[in-house]
Amino acid sequence: MLGRILKFNWFSFLSMVALAVIGVIFIKSAGEARTITALHDAWRVHAATALFGLIVYFTLAFIDYRKILDLFTTPYFLISLIMLVAVLAFGSKVYGGKRWLWFFQPSEIAKPAVILMLAKMLGRTDRPTNGFLDLMKGVGIVAVPALLILAEPDMGTALVLVPTALAMLLCARVCLKVLIPLLVAGALSAGLVLGAVHKAETTTDPELKEKIYKYLPLKEHQRARLRTFLNPEADPYGSGWNLRQSMISIGNGSLSGKGIGKGEQKKLQYLPPSVSMNDFIFCVLAEETGFTGSAVMLSLFLVLLLSGLWTAVRSNDDRGRLVAIGVMTLVFVHIYINIAMSIGLMPITGLPLPFISAGKTFLVTLLAALGIVQSISLHREEKI
Amino acid sequence: MKVPSWSIAMLATLFIAGFAELAIGLYNVQVVNAGEYKRDLTHQATRRVRKPGIRGRILDSKGGVLAESRARRDIVCDLAVFRKNGSISNTVAAVEEEIVRLAGALGVDRPESITPRRIVRHIRTASAIPMCVWRDLDESTLARFEERAAAFTGFSVESHAERHYPRGSFAAHLIGYTGRDRDTSDPEEAYMLAYELEMKGRSGLEKYYDDYLAGVSGTVRIPVDARGFKPVESTSGNISLEETQERDAQNGLDLHLTIDPDIQAVAERQFEGVRGACVALDPRDGAVLAMVSAPAFDLNEFVPFLSTKKYKALSEDPGRPLLNRATAGLYIPGSTFKPVTAIAALNSGFKAHDDYECTGVYKLGTMRLRCWSRWGQGHLNMRGAIEQSCNPYFARLGYLVGSNTLFRTAREFGFNAKTGIDFAPDYAGSLASPPFYPGLVSQSAIGQGRLQVTPLQVAMECAALANGGKVYTPYLKKRPEGSPPPEPVRRLTCRPEDIETVRRGMRDVVEGVRGTGKALGGLTVPCAGKTGTAQIGNGMKDTWVIAFAPYDNPTIAIALVVERGESGGKTAAPRVHNILASIFGEKEGR
Repeated sequence: MLGRILKFNWFSFLSMVALAVIGVIFIKSAGEARTITALHDAWRVHAATALFGLIVYFTLAFIDYRKILDLFTTPYFLISLIMLVAVLAFGSKVYGGKRWLWFFQPSEIAKPAVILMLAKMLGRTDRPTNGFLDLMKGVGIVAVPALLILAEPDMGTALVLVPTALAMLLCARVCLKVLIPLLVAGALSAGLVLGAVHKAETTTDPELKEKIYKYLPLKEHQRARLRTFLNPEADPYGSGWNLRQSMISIGNGSLSGKGIGKGEQKKLQYLPPSVSMNDFIFCVLAEETGFTGSAVMLSLFLVLLLSGLWTAVRSNDDRGRLVAIGVMTLVFVHIYINIAMSIGLMPITGLPLPFISAGKTFLVTLLAALGIVQSISLHREEKI
Repeated sequence: MKVPSWSIAMLATLFIAGFAELAIGLYNVQVVNAGEYKRDLTHQATRRVRKPGIRGRILDSKGGVLAESRARRDIVCDLAVFRKNGSISNTVAAVEEEIVRLAGALGVDRPESITPRRIVRHIRTASAIPMCVWRDLDESTLARFEERAAAFTGFSVESHAERHYPRGSFAAHLIGYTGRDRDTSDPEEAYMLAYELEMKGRSGLEKYYDDYLAGVSGTVRIPVDARGFKPVESTSGNISLEETQERDAQNGLDLHLTIDPDIQAVAERQFEGVRGACVALDPRDGAVLAMVSAPAFDLNEFVPFLSTKKYKALSEDPGRPLLNRATAGLYIPGSTFKPVTAIAALNSGFKAHDDYECTGVYKLGTMRLRCWSRWGQGHLNMRGAIEQSCNPYFARLGYLVGSNTLFRTAREFGFNAKTGIDFAPDYAGSLASPPFYPGLVSQSAIGQGRLQVTPLQVAMECAALANGGKVYTPYLKKRPEGSPPPEPVRRLTCRPEDIETVRRGMRDVVEGVRGTGKALGGLTVPCAGKTGTAQIGNGMKDTWVIAFAPYDNPTIAIALVVERGESGGKTAAPRVHNILASIFGEKEGR
């Protein structure tokens, strides 16, 4: 028992709990401006979900992760795929996308499935290194669910899977002589798309603009988001509204913030209430607690991430290391994209902020994933 | 191992780098540029509301009110109370329903101006301030509303200042009227809301003294939410963007005039059914005692604004009631100009007692200038010529002194220049204009030619003759108590005895056996004057009188013109007599 307590990653656990509490506080704050009871009381749901998630966390933490990988991963992955197909067939349409099945979002559940499946495949002990075939398999494990999510369409969620899988492939040194050139090509083509959009938006020749967009598979709202990212001032009352209001909220917080519950942008609903407790919850936090609060929150996230990676380092098992790497990268990508988009460093992408944004499926999924990481910490074999 | 620890360390480094980037980005937004975003917030989340100060009153010299601001009471509706979720038409419908219900309770008609479109426009542009539903309600309706106000949340009574002219058309041209204008000089106009547009003087003293009367608008900054509504207390709570008084409204100042209400009233009465103008000055300092232009109009018709129909009627009226004839009417002065010619001649060495025989006509080259007396007035000196207003005599004088001297003297009296009065318009008129022809100077000398003068300028001439040659700038705003008396702008270049000669002649006009202005006589005080009958073509005449009294120490100098009259003596003189009689009284037994 004492060994268990010593092996328990307290930094990871406590920072996680602290972040969930912060989430409850600011969902309550964001909900105060809403009259609909369900939204006004969303913080209770968040708290209850977190408590439920903690049960899942501890359950998974005390099960040996190796058992999970051996017994449950393949069925879990397959069920995720079935649900992703099901959501396309029977899902309910919200804001122009089919993302919901009954009360949950299958795309959130698919995220750890991909991580676990990749870890299981790449960390196999029967072969000393991973070759080209493993790379192809890995790409397949990511690409199939990613394409299904993209079809919902939910580009943000599909996109997070890419860096997560990449981090795992790179750390596992899977066929680097193919992977690295592939990466460079990917980065170049992303740059090319941005450049093309920039050219299309700044050109005065409507024919050229039409020609460029003919060859770019971008939807109108995606184009608008890229446009806003490249030139935030162009349309402050249209596509640029959210970004502009997000930055005003964050800037208005200045060093020490307006005080919890006193955010003006939120109260006067310049920060659109429809997004203030989800993807833009950070704006509420930043306005009400200022740079100080933002820095505290970032520090907590950093403690969580580094303690997770520390778990990976302490583990002697490739599969354990890969699971921890995957989960931590997934969390990092969410944090990074969410905050970077709200201060204009990245195009607007609908991604929640881990533990803080309201969202039941994502919260439970995260707690479950971190429970597995805790299990890696608890069930590690001490190095001799 | 397939996953070496160093690769995990590299990943950790990447995470730290990513967080460092976020922290720097946040530092820039929240610390370095925070002020900029705060400004943006204040700019988008507040509206400045302008509330004008109360416009000052205009009072006559005895404290009588000529223009004031009265309270107009409206029932207004705070649209935020009826705000509904969903489409804007839900809110509009709720507002309309409530207005109909209130109209029923008050027993008044539902205002026609409050259409759904009007409500939508108010929500879109000015939802932070209440919308005026019924304007200018009477006391009984307001009392009915007060009784039922509890049942109609969202509605309240608001007071606004409205201009009121207690005496209607009295001194209408002088006082002038106001209109309502957007203040376009303010760069924040687009973000500015106003309960009422600013009142702006559009003519007369209301315009000339606009800044003095208007005061300064107060501005209040009120927070507005993303839809432009003033946040309701329960949702806004204690936010730092509170309603703040940025600038207090300052009420305008009262304008005290030199106008004597009694003289003004009598003078106005003289113009019943005729067109013309009258200006009375105090010759001791240039104060304007009365200024009349006829026909006039009712100033209250311009409140709150003049309807297009009424404006059309006023501007197309052949009597041109909107024209202020006293300062903007250009007339031919006729014989009232002769004293100027006399002074010019005496200045250039002409002797007042020189004899001249009037034969009834003055010939110069091919020009024949007839005297009004068919057979001539016989032997005359200057006094006699003024008394009888002999045209040949003055035509010859004009020829002898020449146009330079004549017009220079006229300018000294104040002709051909703006008078400098604290009023607009202030027309300069003219003395001569091309084409020049021989004999023009003789024509000008008898007040015809191409002379163009305003009644105010003629009154100034009269005042200068009355006070012995001092020309004062006429003024309307009463000087503060105890301030030094105004200095004359200039003195006529002539000897005192020359002015006295002219004054005697003007005295004879009233008292002499053959005087043209005997109608002026019969007052308890001696009075002097000069009549004028200006030929304006087609056999039509504008008839003039200038007069001052008491003769020895004049306290009033009047110029009066009646358009299309018979003659100065018959048409204008009795009117001036009435004015002077009201001041000084008539002699018994006249």
